[in-house]
Amino acid sequence: MLNAAVRDALASAVGPRNVLSDPVQLRSYECDGLTGFRQVPSLVLLPLDTESVAAAVRVCHEHEIPFVARGAGTGLSGGAMPVADGIVISLQRLRQVLEVDPVDRRAVLQPGVTNLDITRAAAPHGLYYAPDPSSQQVCTIGGNVAENSGGAHCLKYGFTTNHVLSMRVVLPDGEVVTLGGDTGEQLGPDLRGVFIGSEGTLGIVCEITVRLLRVPQTVRTLLADFPSVRAAGEVVSDLVAAGIVPAAVEMMDNLAIQAAEKAVGAGYTLDTPAALVVELDGPASECGSQFEQVKQICDRHGCTRLHIAGDTGERAKIWMGRKAAFAAVGRISPDYIVQDGVVPRTRLAEVLGRIEDMGTAAGLRVANVFHAGDGNLHPLVLFDEDAGELERAEELSKDIAELCVELGGSLSGEHGIGTDKACSMPRMFGVDDLATMDRVRSAFDARKLCNPGKLLPTPRLCGERPGRYRPHPLEEAGVIERL
Amino acid sequence: MTTTMLAPTDLKGAHEALADTKGTVSIRGAGTAEGWAGAPLPTAAVLDTTRLTGVLTYNPSDMTVSVRAGTPLAELQRELAANGQRLAFDAARVARGATVGGLVATADSGPLALAYGSLRDLVIGATVVLADGTMARTGGHVIKNVAGYDLAKLLHGSYGGFALLAEIVLRLHPVPGASRTVALDCALDAAAERAATVLGSALEPVCLEWADGTLLIRLEGTSEGTEDRSRELAELVGGAVLGDDAGAAAWKRHAELVGRAAVRVGCRPSRLAGLLGRFGDTAVAGLGTGIGTTSLPLDEVGAVHDAVTTEGGMSVTRRRPPDGVRAWGRPPSAIRLLTAVKKELDPLGRLSPGRFESWFAELDDKEGTP
Repeated sequence: MLNAAVRDALASAVGPRNVLSDPVQLRSYECDGLTGFRQVPSLVLLPLDTESVAAAVRVCHEHEIPFVARGAGTGLSGGAMPVADGIVISLQRLRQVLEVDPVDRRAVLQPGVTNLDITRAAAPHGLYYAPDPSSQQVCTIGGNVAENSGGAHCLKYGFTTNHVLSMRVVLPDGEVVTLGGDTGEQLGPDLRGVFIGSEGTLGIVCEITVRLLRVPQTVRTLLADFPSVRAAGEVVSDLVAAGIVPAAVEMMDNLAIQAAEKAVGAGYTLDTPAALVVELDGPASECGSQFEQVKQICDRHGCTRLHIAGDTGERAKIWMGRKAAFAAVGRISPDYIVQDGVVPRTRLAEVLGRIEDMGTAAGLRVANVFHAGDGNLHPLVLFDEDAGELERAEELSKDIAELCVELGGSLSGEHGIGTDKACSMPRMFGVDDLATMDRVRSAFDARKLCNPGKLLPTPRLCGERPGRYRPHPLEEAGVIERL
Repeated sequence: MTTTMLAPTDLKGAHEALADTKGTVSIRGAGTAEGWAGAPLPTAAVLDTTRLTGVLTYNPSDMTVSVRAGTPLAELQRELAANGQRLAFDAARVARGATVGGLVATADSGPLALAYGSLRDLVIGATVVLADGTMARTGGHVIKNVAGYDLAKLLHGSYGGFALLAEIVLRLHPVPGASRTVALDCALDAAAERAATVLGSALEPVCLEWADGTLLIRLEGTSEGTEDRSRELAELVGGAVLGDDAGAAAWKRHAELVGRAAVRVGCRPSRLAGLLGRFGDTAVAGLGTGIGTTSLPLDEVGAVHDAVTTEGGMSVTRRRPPDGVRAWGRPPSAIRLLTAVKKELDPLGRLSPGRFESWFAELDDKEGTP
């Protein structure tokens, strides 16, 4: 527990008005988007500038108080779950766009700026910020840095790490440093690269400089139905073989389509076994001919219906169906768990077949919505808590993630390891791999106070079980989707 | 002191080379960047990676490849090209036999970095060997993966000082159907103005470089689309579309100029022309990336470091300067953290001493042969 002296020191670090200690208020910080894991923090700080963050972290360092940084709390791996007897440092009040530089095409941001607001600030200059996680309306750039967020368009444009030039970071002992620099290329060791995606375990990012891209001249989007998931998968392989790098290739199976269609009525075919969304962007002259190629490839694999978005409204509708799929699954199942494993693209058909078999064996339905272009699956394990299916569903969900590793892939493509998958890390990495990661963590955080218990497995953590899934308040309000 | 030569051929050998030996070790690839950065101090052993070669796995449909780190990139590119694929990376010294590991360890890049980034953006996994012989894997074989720390990025630009890169997994791209270069002879400041115009257009250049008097802009894509865009581009900047041979020759000259450079600098792209212009020597400027090189007398390098520091950028020498002249410009603000990382990964300071000059001075006492 925090004693009065520590509370006073933290209050003077950030200003007394920027401290939450009321139990009711603290409760709204007890989890992130992965609501099965909960822990009420001892205190929540809402600092107003980098110096206050640093001052608070110095107090934590001195008194050995664990701390967890938090953005919008939309993460899906329990990465922002508080630590017992620890504090939360929320960056929600650091939400200024500090600079947009149209000449060097970059923006300087405080960590609480939402992903979409970066693009909004850049739009008057014909620029945008490329990574687009589907929670982009609410998730923050600070959280994106922590998780190395991707999104539907990262197949072509890359992840957060490919778009961050530099950061002001408060290290776990309170020192403020700059990681990265004015160019994408760093001449020495790339500390920026190891920090991005470290899930809040190596420090707190307080200012971020990102690259902005020019808005592409043309965007072409199509929705294609296929007689089987396998046929749709073959289209993806053929696109690759043809040397086409689409901006996005998304796949949905029948269960996911039914759910999405019931929820938003985006015009998907209710009885099709599988559908693909393919988007190309770039100069008009390039897009046109490649789009024709995509259509031919779809036809070659027995496409039963091809719908081409005629305008931005139709395009938005196709994407609405895709993005609504997760929340919509709530209409066909009382409870569900989202997974985030990745397989090499060539193993897509195999992994989907095995997931189906595993679902049948477990007596549970699994809906599939995924980023087909990069092999990032989002299987949705459907279950009924009241029917006592939670444990089976969790087991199946874990098995699916670990199956992805077995097939040469990864536990997580974009949601992170956090609390949720830390105990599966030994399936993907050996003892020495994890020990080496821990050495790096020690270099940043010798006292292990910065978001402890996340990302790397710990015996205590791996002995515990999460509580039941409950909808996140933002999800209930329809603000975020589980994607 | 006699120097022991270690020349592993596989991961196990690389592990033994470090686990079964004591004392300092310099890691050396093809030697194409030996004159870059700080001078290697004499070491008890040299670990030569030029026999640590070969493709480990290559599945063209996944567009990823894993190789042993001593594989020359030019060789790998030939193998990939047979499948219509490439590593979208074109540093000047690739043609001189540079290894994949060496290119990562020295944070090198070429003109294509404008569109594809540097190797930090293309490496998706690695197996490294620490100074104590620990073998550690990071990343994986899939392009999208956020599990664990990305140690490969930490080793990018580490000049062998943190660990040996033994195996590397790379993300590949299709070889474009067509490539066209538009050239315009002009001064650097005029080139910078044209560059801003091009970057503001929808033409999506993949390279945008001024090479000692000539602005070179490359477009890639489908054959029809590239022809159309190159004509549009030539009109926009007042340049000429080069034929295939002339285009290849122009980029070869570009690589030769980079190969002769004394200093590599990086800063905000809009400041690069002004910065390089101050020195009036042969220069190459990545006007979209902010990365450039200049070849001035080595005893004047200190002035470049100072100027770059004033602009908030970075600089490092690519030829060995005379005694008393620093190879590195301003050390990074996180130098204490970098030292902590070095201490964790290589507590005895075994690996590649000297490459960062005095950055890790507190470990220097521990170097030498136990």
